[in-house]
Amino acid sequence: MPDLYIFKAQIGMVDPVALQNQNVCIHYVQNQYFRKVDFLEAIPPHQCINLGALAANTQSARTNVVNLEMPDNEFGLFRWWPIDDAQIRLYSPAGIAKWQLRNVQVPIDMNIVNIDPNLVSTEIAIWENNRPAVEAFNGHATGLGAVRIKAIGYRFHTVSLESGQFASPELVKQLKSGAQPCTHIWCSGRGIGD
Amino acid sequence: MGLLVDEKIIVPGPIVNLAAAGAAAAVVIYTIPVALLGAKSVKIHAVNIYNNAAGATQILIGNGVGGAFAALLPALDTFNGLNSAYGPMTDLLQAESFANITAYPVALVGVLGINIQLEIIVIG
Repeated sequence: MPDLYIFKAQIGMVDPVALQNQNVCIHYVQNQYFRKVDFLEAIPPHQCINLGALAANTQSARTNVVNLEMPDNEFGLFRWWPIDDAQIRLYSPAGIAKWQLRNVQVPIDMNIVNIDPNLVSTEIAIWENNRPAVEAFNGHATGLGAVRIKAIGYRFHTVSLESGQFASPELVKQLKSGAQPCTHIWCSGRGIGD
Repeated sequence: MGLLVDEKIIVPGPIVNLAAAGAAAAVVIYTIPVALLGAKSVKIHAVNIYNNAAGATQILIGNGVGGAFAALLPALDTFNGLNSAYGPMTDLLQAESFANITAYPVALVGVLGINIQLEIIVIG
């Protein structure tokens, strides 16, 4: 399965990172869960949050993107872009900065659709209800009537390989050792130094 | 390849009234946006002028006020009682500015002044 990896950058829209009956390892903060995909569907572009009006030179409160929460046993894969001229910082989950370098946290603005048309650099994954949060900054001297973000991606339902009806200790052992293929998916940011 | 595509966020500025003539009376017509990271600049994409004064004149667009005023574009003609629109269709140059953009009319007769609005491209 050489084509199953995150951050695919070929021409076109976002591809799924796993298909029916393929194995994944969900990483969430310091936890990892070995699971198998048993259903997936595309999620068309949609407006996932409107942070509302934002006055000139102000920053919004950090706001949870509850519309990107996934049901139990599911993870989502999303690429996203702002459609209003604010600069957006993402947190995943709300307490962990995404795109954190040593000295700065990288924000995204509307230009992302010109620089990175298939939005590969914005790709995030979300495990169950561990939704991301965003902050918007309006650097203009005039207010913005709305700060809206759109997202596109996939929804994956999974079953556990570590417990329950589909448990397979031998397969998990092979996945951990690399003997069997498995797509690793990070569903959170990572604190500096963790 | 995305990197070959121009960055192009185009946003309108506020409508600003130019109520007095001369460089000393230049007022800010577009404020440079603040960047969370790095710096932003703007390019002038279009200029819309409504001359509500009593005579034709020219508008100077640039940076600064008074003796420090530096033009970004040649003077743009404006005629009383009419709109003047300058933009890509009139081969307006996309002059770039890293500072607040100011403007003033060369002459002004009457009290209603001249309304001006820029459409700019945000870079960075």
